[in-house]
Amino acid sequence: MTRTASVLVVGVGNEHRGDDALGLEVARALVRRVPSSVKVVEAGDDLTELLDLWQDVDLAIVVDTFRSEGTAGEIVRWAGPALDNIASQGPLSTHGLSLPQALALGRTLEKVPRQLVVYGIRGSDFRIGRPIAAEVARALPEVEQRILTEISNLGRDVHLLEGGR
Amino acid sequence: MSERTIQVDYVARVEGEGALQVRLRDEEIEEIQLRLFEPPRFFEALLSGRRYQEAPDITARICGICPVAYQMSACHAMEKALGIRVEGPIRDLRRLLYCGEWIESHALHIHLLHLPDFLGVPDAIALAKEHPAEVKRGLELKRLGNDLMRALGGREIHPINVRVGGFYRVPSREELAPLLPRLEQAREQAEAMVRFLSGLRFPDIQEEYEFVALRHSEEYPMNEGEVVSSTGIRIPQERFEEVFEEVQVPYSNAYHVVHKGRGSYLTGPMARYALNHDRLTPRARALASEIGLGPQERNPYRSILIRAIEVLFACEESLAILRRYRPPAAAWVEPPHAIAPEVTCAITEAPRGMLYHRYRIAPDGTIVNARIVAPTTQNQKRIEDDLTQVVRAGLHLPDAELAASCERAIRNHDPCISCATHFLDFRVERLPR
Repeated sequence: MTRTASVLVVGVGNEHRGDDALGLEVARALVRRVPSSVKVVEAGDDLTELLDLWQDVDLAIVVDTFRSEGTAGEIVRWAGPALDNIASQGPLSTHGLSLPQALALGRTLEKVPRQLVVYGIRGSDFRIGRPIAAEVARALPEVEQRILTEISNLGRDVHLLEGGR
Repeated sequence: MSERTIQVDYVARVEGEGALQVRLRDEEIEEIQLRLFEPPRFFEALLSGRRYQEAPDITARICGICPVAYQMSACHAMEKALGIRVEGPIRDLRRLLYCGEWIESHALHIHLLHLPDFLGVPDAIALAKEHPAEVKRGLELKRLGNDLMRALGGREIHPINVRVGGFYRVPSREELAPLLPRLEQAREQAEAMVRFLSGLRFPDIQEEYEFVALRHSEEYPMNEGEVVSSTGIRIPQERFEEVFEEVQVPYSNAYHVVHKGRGSYLTGPMARYALNHDRLTPRARALASEIGLGPQERNPYRSILIRAIEVLFACEESLAILRRYRPPAAAWVEPPHAIAPEVTCAITEAPRGMLYHRYRIAPDGTIVNARIVAPTTQNQKRIEDDLTQVVRAGLHLPDAELAASCERAIRNHDPCISCATHFLDFRVERLPR
């Protein structure tokens, strides 16, 4: 039996909060470039939605901006055990769930995808009404390309997997 | 002389940004200030000069949790000015959309924000470890609320399908059909939720609230009704500002709303329930009675039960609407060109209580000015009064415990302090005389 891997890309952000909009921009850029079988979703600040989206997904890639000490625009990839690092960080959001909370809740309730990858882009300016800072926006093409590579690698792996069955 | 100041950052599980400062002098309460930083006045200014048709979509942006309420109050106000009434299936669909928002908002507050307080866990994640089935059920109910909003509003956050006079597009029966079995299941889930919550342990207190809510001749109130109160007020919506007034307080961006000559009052689920208990569906009323809720409830901690009863009610109401739904010939009532009264207003029942909109409209349809009074603005003074009781009863407690008690008291009322940076800064000052 062969089956197509189900792949989901979620861009997380708030359109009106400066660098936080970048996750959404990545989703918008990718929707034109991914295979039609890949679902691309934009998500706002209540991420309980993720728990439903993640159900029965082989690979979910989530893109969001984050805040920490360091260079704005830097791209960080978390997967596997490294996801614990984001799951345990930061204060809790109050409008529904933040990404770390959604991840923690999803794990507790066993509502996580088979494989989860989180791309974080370090932002610096999250003020209302600000544009995405140039040094943060510059990360977009690279994140976009890395996600496309990730998806095509999975396609190859799935193909190999199926060929071996 | 000793003086202590305790500050707790990141008090979670309240919608939005605010701060609470408690100042004690010689173990007497000197001042309690709940500060809200949300600036809704900007929206009022934004509205002036815009076309009346834009009000539902502009005001929906005030809140990501209750956008439907803003759209509904705006639509009703404009329709009064235009002299049109929305009846039949379009009215039903509005009610169905509102049910979606109530289910979504209440399910979120009950499970992710409020319930941890009763089970001795810090947050929803810890709660999910101990009670996975209940949290899953809560998320499924919330999801259903979202899906109702998506089906009618085009999307669940800031719906885009609502317009003055009705909707831009109405769904077919076939489109809504998949929601029927889900609502039937949700009704069972809601009942199970109510029973589970009724087993919680509640602090034993009674508050003297003046409850204020809408009351409709036949329905549990959402979109229409007179303003009634537990002290005997019964007025048309147009007289709201005669009886209730906004007062500025220097420490908060939100106004306080008080009953003139009387003081604080409470709007929201507890008030709706107390004033409309007889308008619930028989099943919701019977279950309320079974779990020991009387015709009114004055223990704010037990508001979680009333929200749960309202979820059950909203599921039943949605089912009834879906079963009788036949798409209308037109998706909206065409507004006439003439605007009759200069000033128009409407109140609808947001999940957190009465939401008042008042507009002055020029004859050409331009909004001259707007006034919006949100439920949390109305409840703010009353929440401070609750906090006074909590602090008075908890003076002997260490600051951290007192702070935790105050947070719980605030969460009882599910305040929606809509904004984007999320924390409540908490401060207790103990001053010497």
